[in-house]
Amino acid sequence: MLAKTPWPFIASLRLLLIAFFLTAIASTHLRADSFADLTRMARGQTVYFNAWGGSPSINAYIGWVGEQLKQRYDITLVHVKLTDTSEAVSRILAEKVAGKSSEGSVDLIWVNGENFASMKRDGLLRTDEWAFELPSFAYTDSKALPAILSDFAVPTEGQESPWGRAQLVFAYDSRYVETPPRSAIDLADWIGANPGRFSFPQPPDFTGTSFLKQIALELAPDRSVFMRPAEDADKDAALQPLWQWLEKVYPALWRGGISYPANYTDMVQLLGDGELSFAMAFNPAEFSNGIASGVLPETVRSYIHQSGTLANVHFVAVPFNASASEAARVTADFLLSPEAQIRKARADIWGDPTVLALHRLPKDMQKAFTRMARGPATLSEAELGRTLPEPHPSWVAVIEEGWNRRFLLR
Amino acid sequence: MTIVMKKTSMSLLFARGARLLLFGLIAGPVIAGTFGIMVPAFGWFPPLGGETFSLAPINAVLNAPGIWQSAWLSLSTALLATALSYFCVMMFLAVMWEHGRVGWLVRALAPLLSVPHITIAVGLLFLLQPSGWLARLISPALSGWERPPIFGIVPDDYGMVLVFGLMIKEIPFLLLMALSALSQLPAHQWIATSRSLGHGPISSWCLIVQPNLAPRLLLPVSIVLIFCISVVDMAIILAPTTPPPLSLRVLNWFQDPDLTARFTASAAALFQVLLAGIAVCLWTILRWLCGIIQRTSVRSGIRFHWLSKSSRPLCFLGVVLIALPCAIGALGLGVSLVWSVAEVWRFPDILPSRWGLLAWSAGSVSLWDAAINTVLIGVSSAGLALVMVIVWCELTPEAGSEGQRKTISEMPFYIPLLIPQIAFLFGLQIMLVWLSLDGVYVTLIWAHLLFVFPYVLLSLGPAWRRWDNRLDDVGAALGASRIERLIRIKLPVLIMPIMTSLAVGFAVSAALYLPTIFVGGGRIVTLTTEAVTLASGAGRQNLGAATALQMALPLIIFLCADTVSRRRLFRRGSARSHR
Repeated sequence: MLAKTPWPFIASLRLLLIAFFLTAIASTHLRADSFADLTRMARGQTVYFNAWGGSPSINAYIGWVGEQLKQRYDITLVHVKLTDTSEAVSRILAEKVAGKSSEGSVDLIWVNGENFASMKRDGLLRTDEWAFELPSFAYTDSKALPAILSDFAVPTEGQESPWGRAQLVFAYDSRYVETPPRSAIDLADWIGANPGRFSFPQPPDFTGTSFLKQIALELAPDRSVFMRPAEDADKDAALQPLWQWLEKVYPALWRGGISYPANYTDMVQLLGDGELSFAMAFNPAEFSNGIASGVLPETVRSYIHQSGTLANVHFVAVPFNASASEAARVTADFLLSPEAQIRKARADIWGDPTVLALHRLPKDMQKAFTRMARGPATLSEAELGRTLPEPHPSWVAVIEEGWNRRFLLR
Repeated sequence: MTIVMKKTSMSLLFARGARLLLFGLIAGPVIAGTFGIMVPAFGWFPPLGGETFSLAPINAVLNAPGIWQSAWLSLSTALLATALSYFCVMMFLAVMWEHGRVGWLVRALAPLLSVPHITIAVGLLFLLQPSGWLARLISPALSGWERPPIFGIVPDDYGMVLVFGLMIKEIPFLLLMALSALSQLPAHQWIATSRSLGHGPISSWCLIVQPNLAPRLLLPVSIVLIFCISVVDMAIILAPTTPPPLSLRVLNWFQDPDLTARFTASAAALFQVLLAGIAVCLWTILRWLCGIIQRTSVRSGIRFHWLSKSSRPLCFLGVVLIALPCAIGALGLGVSLVWSVAEVWRFPDILPSRWGLLAWSAGSVSLWDAAINTVLIGVSSAGLALVMVIVWCELTPEAGSEGQRKTISEMPFYIPLLIPQIAFLFGLQIMLVWLSLDGVYVTLIWAHLLFVFPYVLLSLGPAWRRWDNRLDDVGAALGASRIERLIRIKLPVLIMPIMTSLAVGFAVSAALYLPTIFVGGGRIVTLTTEAVTLASGAGRQNLGAATALQMALPLIIFLCADTVSRRRLFRRGSARSHR
């Protein structure tokens, strides 16, 4: 009925536009205002930042963040070093069970997509879209990097703030491999021709499972299946190519597939020892860092597959019962600020790629990013350009279960 | 007469009260914490959506691929490691006990006791892997390997390397416990009697001393068995992973980012407790069988002449059985320390090609705080445990009169060591959060006490129990009160075992990782929490540095304790003459 004349349509369009502008103005206004409030309330608070503590360079970077926060906002940052994120998740869960809905022991937690999906579902996170309201969030562009809004295909809904970018990157020792295989098919051929020199961390290790997801995505005729929950798909058909690929290569894996590296650091060490010809990691700068610290020889180079490799974003989140939630949000904002992101991206600091969109940054900061020196085994942003989105987190359990059933009893 | 009666009943009452109190402090929380996994194991845990009881988690565990192989691997490696360690210790004592002086041995083994398991594991792996140090020794000159070969023996299918790694750690512990238990037995007289009846030294040991020693070692052996079943850090590195032992699967389920896996994890942890129980039962059956063999051979009067004829090679064998694992452990430790000052150390170099202190500078960030916490928590928990053990032993002198009865009445105190840590820590954590006691020093010290107290009791108890009451009587005759006798006679005379158990208690506290993380709320860092997190990511260099840090304090305390007790003994040389 309304569509008969064009006027109501245009009128409604205009209304919509006005509304859009008004909300835009209102929201920017609200943002600035509430953030000022936030910093005021955050003053003097102590943030217990629960983050994996296995890397000296990341620890040192978090130490630097602490110094900056003290100077700028009078916030004390304490890095609670974890061996595994589950330790902190366990604590938050214990607090929830015990009915402790405020004054929790974790203020800020470093999470990946799997942690997030589960913590969000079980109501362990702060839910008020706080991450969208951080001033630094304006420097991101979810069109250029959709993973900012959808973490492992789960909408973030502002419950976590992006911190850095990760992409599955392979490394090879150029003494033993002339031209690295750039696809799952080529890799299978290489493994067949060079038995005993390739492996991957054993699932359920994060990197190992990611490698299986990578192969599954590469071989899938239709990748969109993996973007939806596994329950809605024909799981066996979707994963059939992956199992066939593994059946083919596994006799020629390192140790005949009887044993696997425990995690990616173990794998990097084995590449350094010369037992393996390849390694893989989620930080593109990992291998340059390895060369710098002496773990890897200078002949190591990195590459990615032609179809692109799994890429995701890692985040920080505030638990539902954080004691210092204001200071935690200010910390998250500082972690996302161009200054902190530039420092984090430096090869000599950590080498973690930024989540910010360069075109949204002031000119001088763009320059700082583009002129940054890379390590000898780090790919350029352009070379890393091809990415595959992470499958829905429900696939992790399906892949791990299938792997266990087929390959755990060899 | 009635006065005496009254006195004993009073002391009995005291003893019962103390036992109840200690039970509440030590075993109670563990049992309560275990409920924290019992309930989710049967499907009930509302915060994660488990609203009804069901057998689904248990079915999930039983249907997990390879779960029986995992259970068998855990059981077989634990039993084998324990049995072999026990055998080595007995063989060693059989040939060496008569030669006396084993005190030096205790001092020599003390450092190995405080080496973290993960360091032994990494050291062993670095020796044996295809790119390891032994391969480097022969490469490329002898082997022709320019690059590490593709065959590997670590980890092996049956977990033999894991068994060996566990032996390195358990032999020193069992040896210490055996020496302590031996001091309660008139072993020398027994051996002399049996030799006069025509038995050789080794068969005397096997037929007479060992059967009497075994019941006294049941507790330490059970602790070792259960430790081996639930070991995680060593298993990650040395155990086969297709499938991995049960302990690693429990850990994987607990660490699964999907929190609903915790139902399965709880059920699996319960399964692990059950498996530990089965292992102890099997050990008891094994002991019973050995007992039958031993009794039959004593009755039949057989003399094992071949065991006594050439005692020299046998002596040698006995020493090798102990020395080899310990030497390899020490070599692994040495290699780890070399790694901590290495920057580049590639195949086939026998020594690092570039040295540096990078790993040390990386670890030094918050080390000072961590060291202070370690000392604070370690000294207070070990000191408290010491006082508690002394009070306990004073209140229950009758418990020591009969070996069997003692172990029964003290068994509850060992519950924290007999239930795998991961099974009760989560429940304990919920309880502490509920009481708002988490992340506080006092609570953490008490949580450490759960583990420190049983070890101090284990190492001091026997020495205290064999106290010569005549010394007490002399003191009483001179008019000294009970407290005076304790302070002026008993403590000075027993200074050596007291200092040793204090050092043991400190070492136990300093090495605790999971309890510190769970109870300390992640806010109280110790050298071990720092070291373990560093070892979780960074390479061998950092592990080496972390190990050195982790070992340093317990070693210093051991040396201090040793010096104090020796100086004390030297000054009052006459005190020693009571034995």
